[in-house]
Amino acid sequence: MSLEWLAILMFVIFLGLLLAGYTVAFSFAGTAIVFSVLGILLDVFPLANLNLLFNRWFSDGVANFVLVAIPFFVFMGAIFEKSGLAERLLTTIGLLMGSLRGGLALAVVVVGTLLAAATGVVAATVIVMGILSLPVMLRYKYDHRLATGIITASGTLAQLIPPSLVLIVISSQMPNVSVGELFAGALIPGVILAGLYAVYVLIIAQVRPDVAPALPPEARTLHGWALFREALVAVVPSILLILSVLGSIFFGIATPTEAGSVGAIGACLLAAANRGLNWQMIKAAARTTANITGLVLQILLASTFFALVFDRLGGQRLITEWLTDIPGGVWGFIVVANLVVFLLGINLEFLEISFIVLPLFVPAAQLLGIDLIWFSVMMAINLNMAFISPPVGFSLFYLQSVAPPEVRTADIHRGALPFMALQAVALVIVAFFPQTVLWLVEQAGLT
Amino acid sequence: MTATANSSRTRPFGPLLRAAQGFQRAMDRFSEWLGIAALYLVPVLVLIGFGNVILRYVGELVGARLTTNEVIEAQWYVYGLIFLFALPYVLKHQINVRVDFWYTKQSLHRRAWIDLIGHFVGLIPFALLGVYISYPAARTSWRARETSPEGGLAYYPIKTLILVVMVILVLQALAEVVKLIIILRGHEELVEIEEHEEPLRIE
Repeated sequence: MSLEWLAILMFVIFLGLLLAGYTVAFSFAGTAIVFSVLGILLDVFPLANLNLLFNRWFSDGVANFVLVAIPFFVFMGAIFEKSGLAERLLTTIGLLMGSLRGGLALAVVVVGTLLAAATGVVAATVIVMGILSLPVMLRYKYDHRLATGIITASGTLAQLIPPSLVLIVISSQMPNVSVGELFAGALIPGVILAGLYAVYVLIIAQVRPDVAPALPPEARTLHGWALFREALVAVVPSILLILSVLGSIFFGIATPTEAGSVGAIGACLLAAANRGLNWQMIKAAARTTANITGLVLQILLASTFFALVFDRLGGQRLITEWLTDIPGGVWGFIVVANLVVFLLGINLEFLEISFIVLPLFVPAAQLLGIDLIWFSVMMAINLNMAFISPPVGFSLFYLQSVAPPEVRTADIHRGALPFMALQAVALVIVAFFPQTVLWLVEQAGLT
Repeated sequence: MTATANSSRTRPFGPLLRAAQGFQRAMDRFSEWLGIAALYLVPVLVLIGFGNVILRYVGELVGARLTTNEVIEAQWYVYGLIFLFALPYVLKHQINVRVDFWYTKQSLHRRAWIDLIGHFVGLIPFALLGVYISYPAARTSWRARETSPEGGLAYYPIKTLILVVMVILVLQALAEVVKLIIILRGHEELVEIEEHEEPLRIE
């Protein structure tokens, strides 16, 4: 019993370090160091445990075929961003939909969904759309809250719609759940969420035309055939690439890692055919990719250590006991898990949640007979909410960093609220209809 | 000479600190090179990955096995090199995640104190632990000339590299400590402080 309280204390001290503002990765490491020394002194943590750590580093981090998919999909998205492919998509789809009320916002939803399916990275999507479409929406008198809300929410789809970094990392922490299965499971919920955004925009544009007006004719520079041709050239190849990458995963033609490498090459070819690809773009994309890969692994190495010590001090057993004792059985557990991840997600980042918090839920979920794919997708939607929850949601920061000065931070924060409500609706839909996740998983012939 | 005494907190910049600064700058340059190596390996990784796919499908088409485990494993090998090389670089460039709603409001000095304490409690012991556990692992791997169980590439070079990177990480951590001490002595103009204009772009 005393041991378990040591584990609790460990979590409390970790939170303390974290709130002081020290880096998350080494807050994990520091807490784990202190408590493993304490454990060794109290003779409750055999030194031999540390030898396990190297093996876990090697098998979970270095020799991990799943995580190789991360650099591929990050690189693919970065090429879309840096080569101007994303920009052209946004401009063209904006022109196509501009004559509708709320058309620009709708274009943001469509492009957000497409870019989400081309990359696993939220930041790139939010920043591209923030730079390109926010000034246009402001010029044509869009309501600031709607304009910023639609950008942060649509950009954040990148972490739910496959291929997504979040899903790859979550699958690496879930026993017997492959990346392909999570990709298949998350696709329909992702599309449902995008659909909810689109419907919301269309309704609000009809009810309150002043918040989301149509583009005036002089702003629509291309018409008729010229527009059609531009759409054909700018939009169709990207969509084909995206469909073939995801399709090859779902039809079992390629593993996610293989599809990622093909997608990365495909994005380079598209960029070359589009407006030219130069070495500077490749270098910039490679820089982003190397940094993200390094960061993911830094956090993985540190949190593996934390999890090992926490587990050996009995923390895992304690958490599992608590979670399985929650009144209401499965639903009690689902509600608690969602609340915990949502609250932690406001402050922590998805990496820590995936590496530390989600594995704590797994034994309890298995005891309760919960499908881990369904559970993982719910957690991913939940993290989606955390991404745009004020005041510290990551997507909000990304948009703030590129928003014109007349956009107030308070508007960005308030603008996110209706979209958080829509995410909650999607979460409830997925919770009550697990088929939204499992149907495609069963249909897909995954390799 | 460079130490302008315009701050009451400024304290002398002695020969010891000067020597430490020399070490810190050398370490920074070295980690920068490693980061550049990681960058150039990314296109290599993409090409290897793509090549693997081509070989596998052409192989299935002509009914021959064109790939070998070595080629398939080269993929995660290069991936391993990328992130191992990126680790010291990421540390040097302060590419990290913080819960910073309180932290960012603090003075440069207080932030330096938080980081200094954190480095001594968290980062440095952690990197030392990394050295401590990867040394025996690398040695065992060398003795057994360990290769991958699927009959692919040798494991011992990459296990050795983990050890080497952990040592570099300790040194880069010390370089970070030197920078913080220089800041705490009131000479922050002598340190390149990475200020991220835009928030960190992970995920």
